[in-house]
This record gives sequence, C-alpha cells and structure tokens, in this order.
Amino acid sequence: MIVQEIVAKALEKAQAAQAVMVSQETSAVDFENDRLKSAESSQRTKIDLKVIVDGKVGISSTTDPRDVEGVVQRALEAAQFGSPAHFELPEPQALNPVEIFDPAILPLEKPEMIRMGQQMMDMVKSYNPEILAGAAVNKNLYKVEYANSRGASYSAEHTDFNVGAAGQLVRGTDILFAGHGIGQKKRAVDTEAIAAQAIEYFHLAEEIAPIESGEMPVIFTPSGLAALLLSLALAVNGKNVYLGASPLRDKLGQQIASPSLTIVDDPFVPYGPRTSAFDDEGVPRQVTPLVEKGVLRNFIYDLDTAGRAGAKPTGHGSERRLTNLVIEPGQTPYAEMLRGVEKGLLVHEFLGLGQGNPINGEFSVNVFLGYKIEHGKLVGRVKDVMLAGNAFDAIKDITAISQEREWVSGPWAWFNGLIPHVQVGKLSVTAK
Amino acid sequence: MRDRLTAALKAHDVEYADIRVEDNLNTWVNFQGPDLDSIGSSRTVGGIVRALYKGGWGYATFNDLDDLPKRVREACITARLVGTGTTYWAPTDPVVDTIKASLVKDFRQVPLAEKKALAEEYNRIILGHHKSIQTSAVRYADYFKTLWYANSQGTYIEEEKPDTNLLVVAIARDGDIVQNGYETGGGADGYQSVENFQEKARSAAQKAVELLAAPPVSGGKYTVITNQDLTGVFTHEAFGHLSESDFVYENPQMQEIMTLGKRFGSDELNIIDDGSLPGGLGTHRYDYEGVPTRKNYLIKDGILVGRLHSRETAAKMGEPLSGNARSVHFQHPPIVRMTNTYIDQGKTPFAEMIKDIDLGVYAVRSIGGQTAMEMFTFSAAYGYMIRNGQVAELVRDVVLTGNVFETLQNIDCIGDDLAWEPNGPGGCGKGDQHPLRVGLGGPHIRIQNCVVGGQQ
Ligand SMILES: [Zn+2]
Repeated sequence: MIVQEIVAKALEKAQAAQAVMVSQETSAVDFENDRLKSAESSQRTKIDLKVIVDGKVGISSTTDPRDVEGVVQRALEAAQFGSPAHFELPEPQALNPVEIFDPAILPLEKPEMIRMGQQMMDMVKSYNPEILAGAAVNKNLYKVEYANSRGASYSAEHTDFNVGAAGQLVRGTDILFAGHGIGQKKRAVDTEAIAAQAIEYFHLAEEIAPIESGEMPVIFTPSGLAALLLSLALAVNGKNVYLGASPLRDKLGQQIASPSLTIVDDPFVPYGPRTSAFDDEGVPRQVTPLVEKGVLRNFIYDLDTAGRAGAKPTGHGSERRLTNLVIEPGQTPYAEMLRGVEKGLLVHEFLGLGQGNPINGEFSVNVFLGYKIEHGKLVGRVKDVMLAGNAFDAIKDITAISQEREWVSGPWAWFNGLIPHVQVGKLSVTAK
Repeated sequence: MRDRLTAALKAHDVEYADIRVEDNLNTWVNFQGPDLDSIGSSRTVGGIVRALYKGGWGYATFNDLDDLPKRVREACITARLVGTGTTYWAPTDPVVDTIKASLVKDFRQVPLAEKKALAEEYNRIILGHHKSIQTSAVRYADYFKTLWYANSQGTYIEEEKPDTNLLVVAIARDGDIVQNGYETGGGADGYQSVENFQEKARSAAQKAVELLAAPPVSGGKYTVITNQDLTGVFTHEAFGHLSESDFVYENPQMQEIMTLGKRFGSDELNIIDDGSLPGGLGTHRYDYEGVPTRKNYLIKDGILVGRLHSRETAAKMGEPLSGNARSVHFQHPPIVRMTNTYIDQGKTPFAEMIKDIDLGVYAVRSIGGQTAMEMFTFSAAYGYMIRNGQVAELVRDVVLTGNVFETLQNIDCIGDDLAWEPNGPGGCGKGDQHPLRVGLGGPHIRIQNCVVGGQQ
C-alpha cells in the first residue's frame, strides 16, 4: 500500500508517522427545475500524513499519490515548528466487523439513477404541477487505507448511496421549499416513500396559519432536532471541554437532561451513513453513550486532545465528529403527542441555525419550515416566526419522545442519526 | 499546459466543452487556547471537464491529470445521457490571457517559523488581555492557486490567485455566559496584509470581555441602523442571492417577482455587483467561463435593472452577460455567484441618521447570515441600543430577520460612509460550494420596523 511506503519514507527522519489515503469514485445525477440538469463522474484521491519528530507534530496532505517525496518533506518541515505531541500512535488492534459495503451498488449506472430521480420528480409534479421539482441521486465507492509506524494497518471499502427529492412552490411573494432524502451504505431504498414524504411536507404547508407570539409547547421533528443537537454536539466535543468552553465541562455523571433522553453515538449501525470500523487516527471506533436517562456519560476525544486532557480517545477522528446518533425511542406514539398539544408549534427546518453562540446552547432561529398545532392537529404552515431559547434548558424540559424514529441522513443533513420526534414543554415563539 | 488542454479538448463531440485545472498550495498555522493546534501544508491538484449537449451538462472531476482526453470523453458521454432539449449558450469573444500574481511581500518566501511566530504573538495578546478571557483561536492561512482554463471556443486563461488571511477570536467567560470577539484580516497582495495586527487582536479580546456584561437584546420590532459590514452582509444575503439568475431563469414565478423595472426601494437605493473592482475580495479579470467581469447595477434609483448571469442563464433569459460564473474549487462546476456586492453611498451622515430615533438598535458586524429567497436571518456580532437619538448600552444576541422585499422598502436612510469588510477566512456558501471569496460593502443604513429576534 502507498500509505506504508509513505510511512517508511517518513521514518527516515521521523520517530513516528501515520498516513491515510482515501480513493473515491462518485457518480451523480441532478434534477433541477423539473428537468434532468447534469450528471457527473468524479475521481478523487487524498493522502494525509502526520509525523512526529523530536516529540513535535507536523502534518501535510496531497492529492497526488506519486508525490511521496513532497508530502513527506512538507510534513517534516512543519514538524520543526509543530506542537508537542501529547499522544502515541495506536498499536495494531482488532477491529469490530462492520457492514459498510453493498455490492448491489456497484452495477448501478447513471441511466438507472436517472430513472429513480425521474420517478420521484414525477410523483411530486403529479401531486402539484406548480411545484418546481428537483431530485438528486448519487453513489460513491471509496477505499480508506491507514498505516502507522507501530505496525497498525487497516483498509476498508465503503459504498454510499444518497437519494433525495425536493421542490419549491412560489405563490405571490411567498416561497416554500421542502424536501426529503436518505443517505446510507446500501442500495435498497424506497424512492416512492422519499417522494411521498416530500409531498407530505408540501401538503401540510398548503395553508398558512397565523400564530401569536408567546411561550408554547414545541415539537421537534427528527431533522428539526438539529436545533438542540447542534449545541449538545459542540458541548461534548472534547476539545471544547479541554479548553473550558463547554458549558458541560464539569457535568459528567450529572443530570443534564430529562430522564427520558438517551443518546448513543453508534458507529456500528449496519449500513448506517457514518458507519466505519476505524477512524483517521487508527483508533478503533466504539459505541459511545453520550446521555443516558438524562445523565451526561462521555465526551468525545481525538488522540491529541485526549492526551492533553488525560482522557481516552473515543474513535471520533482527528476532527472529533459524531458518527450515527441514535436516540432511544420514547413511550408516546407520535399521533398521541400531537393530539396532546392544545396550541403549539411543530418545527422541521430553520434559517440561521449555528449562528450566534451555539456552544452556550442559545439559539434564535427563523422557522423555515414549521407548522402550527391547534387542538391536537397541524393546521398549516407558520411564516416569519422566530424560535428562541436555550438548548440545555430545552433538553431538561422534554415532555415527550415519540415511539417512532426516522433516519436523518445524507449530505444535506446537519447530522446523521436515528431520531424520534421530541416535545419540549415551553419555548419562546416570536411572530411578526 | 495550454497544449495539453487544447489537445484534450479535441476529444469532445458535443456543442461546448471546457477544462479547468488548478494547483493549490496551502499553508496554515492554527492556535487554539495556549496551544499550537495545527501547523502544516497541503497541495491539491485536480480539474474538471464540462460538456454541454442539448441543454444537458456532463461533468468529470478528477485529481489525476494523466489522461485528460479520457476525462473529456467521459464528460461528453455523460452529457449525451442528460441532454434532450435545447442548448442556451451566450456568445463571448475568445480571449487568451495570462494573469500573474503581484505580491508586495511573497508569503511563499516567508519561513514557516515566522508565520508561526506571528500567529503566536496575536494569540498571546488575546490570552493575556484580561482575566475573563477563557480561550482563543488564531488561524493564519495562505493559498497560492494557479488556474488553467481552456474552452472549445478558443479561450485560454492562465491565472495566479494568491490569498493570505487571518482570523483572531477571543472567547471570554463569566459563569455560564460565554462571549466571543473577533477580527479578520488579510488580502490578495501579500504577507504584509496580516502583519501589524496587534491592535486588532486586543480589540477582539476587549469586545469579548465587554459582551460578558451586556444583556441580550429583547426581541421585538425596532428602527435598526446597520453598520457598514452588516449592510454588506444584508445586501449580499438578503438581496444579492435573489439576483443570481440561476434561481430565476427556469422559474416563471420567480421571474415575476424579480421583473426588471419593478420598484424595490427608495430613489436613493443603488445596489451594485462589481467583479472588476480594483482590490476587491471577489475581483477577477474573467469569470470561470472566460467572460470579462464588469460593474453591474442590480438596483438603480430604487428600480430593479439587472441581474447576475452565467453564459447559460444570460442566453436563456436574453439578457446581457455579467461575468458571474464562479467556482469555489475544481471539484465543482461554476455557478452564478456574486463578486463584490454593495449598496452605493448615499447622502446622510451617521449623526443625522440616528438623531430622531427614540428607541432603536444599532447592529454591528456580522457573525453569519442565511437566506431562503424572501426570508433572511443574520446575526450581528453585537449591537447597541439607540435611546433618544444616541448610541446607548451594548447588547448581545442581536439577530435580524425578515422579508427582503419589505425590508428593502423599509430602508429610509442611506449613509455617506461606504466601506468594505476586511478579508478573512470566510466567504459565501451556495449549494455545496463554500467558502467563496466575495466582497461585502455598504454605508450605514437605517431600516424601519425591523424584527430583532431574542427572548422576550
Ligand atoms: Zn452568500
């Protein structure tokens, strides 16, 4: 493997080294404004090298597998001025078996992908010809190779398949966007269900329902839960904990959320969108409970941050990214949750998410797609409404979690996970 | 490279094809808190072939430059799968040109040790500024990008695009309250653009400390004055994206909303996108389809008069080319993007603008904005209440939101103090293309009845 060659070359001057190479082939088709707009073939290669010289770290990367000399020389140069290494590269370890490769994706060619996209578009158009419809289908084959100077060497071949349908509807100066998509590592996908879900969002949004400002119960759809999960993800990031920026930094073992909330980061979900056996530092992936019955259980650490903080690396890579977030289902059927709300809001998508100070938990977002709940029913879409609050207060105020869960996934999603509907007792809603 | 690209394009059998190849050398130094977080460099080489056939696009993107004719054939085969309609493609004169970088102080000659020392000094200033400074981030990056572009109509452009940028962030904490202050700097003209930033680093730290004591703004409807940076973000986010004609050209309803000749604001309102502006962050001599850039009025005297085009959208809408097809990276085809977008200078001095406001908000700078057609929302870095015609206490969590059409009509005062936002690592995102360098500018403006989000 090239990665072993690079590590060997680096070891001529460095005491430790690791290399990761990702080689990828992608096919994609894209429908825009009711028609097939483009299709793409893509070939990518990237090599990342990390060296340790005299206890200091240097990194470099290249897209050219023949540039072994160059990538090694640049990493060695950076190491002269690098930060001290607070870690050792991991030894070879046994990896958990994972399901990440579906051979059925290999023979899938563009004409079939075009057919799938066309079918979803046709469904949306036949629901309402006024909707300007779009769709995207892409498949991705990639190989990850890892080697380090302690003899660890892993290789994995992945398949990815992403399918989505979306549309926009303009009436006067009112513009509505809605869509639905799925990303996973296997081919079996129900395009009809995806289109039907997109249509459902349009259907519910046909009426515009005025809403008054005030405090009210809010139900977050699985993808709408991003508003709360974003802050939680930042706060459990080991780097933010180590730097003292996380408001949860001293709350391990404490109750930080309603006892009904359990969130596990699970990299072993079969064919899950972020499933894999090892990370880009050669650390085996592991299941990490984040919140158990409302109690904060773990932060996530890369090698270096773990070393600095005196913690253990959790297999979330050098960038500390969550994998598949799995939230335990609750007791309440979704229909019943909805029926229980006299006056409230169901929120699905936002504008302005992540702005401001998300690590504090504070959010103040424009509800981009949300529905008014009245007497237990969705009565229409809300417009020009801001939702504001604090994510850490909100997760303490969870009043119900649905039995049903949905996958939130794909390149367009804020995060990947298996997520229920979550109801929060009271949040501040400002209507124009 | 010219011969290689021209030879490869001979393999095409479609109506139009082009190739863009890029070589990008990037060096960075990042501090986070007291520690050097990362130092390193990367080299990214690759390209994209586009083929256009009967209105359908085929793309091939690659890192491996070995067999370019194969990539051209791949793109053509794909285009033939897609195209079943009519091709719209605006003509432009073929050009052959070479654009060399001109650097006052060439960052490629600056040793890594010196870049590290520079970032370290700014970082030390922030951390030592005040006891409530919890942590910091300093990000230095430089890029030297070389682009080669050729199309099947005889254009060949070779361009060097250097960029140096700096971000310093101070994070202050008091109990559970955490506040940020930041400054950005840099430029296309060399390493000196990130030197002598000590004062800015201090002021970032000072702002974070001051914000700890600032109350959140209380939500509601106010008369709002935005400072120049924020005017720039507003213009770009709320209006500029609507002028990108790929949103409009195949969408009859959007065409109706964005009909040329329609009034969007007062006589005093002029909005311009100018890719030829000397020294602008979004400045190019040509766009990524070989079209010369130029100054384009979008709104003139309050009336919608133009929009931004690629060669495809201009042909489809029968409007003049504007030179706005841009791409963030060779893995992406160019799409319609802004360059340097601004509200032109008006006549009102700041003191005049504020003096009649009994209760309002003065919103300063931006830490992010997002738009979905008519709806926009963006966060000011901080703000001040305006009381009895004066700038009063500092407030935090100032988020502005609204409907762009109403908001433009609600601008009742335009300042005489046009300024541009400094360089920095950020940029515009559209689809999956982020961050694209854009210039954001404007004077102070006053907006009546603007919704400011926040807890009530
Ligand atoms: Zn933008």
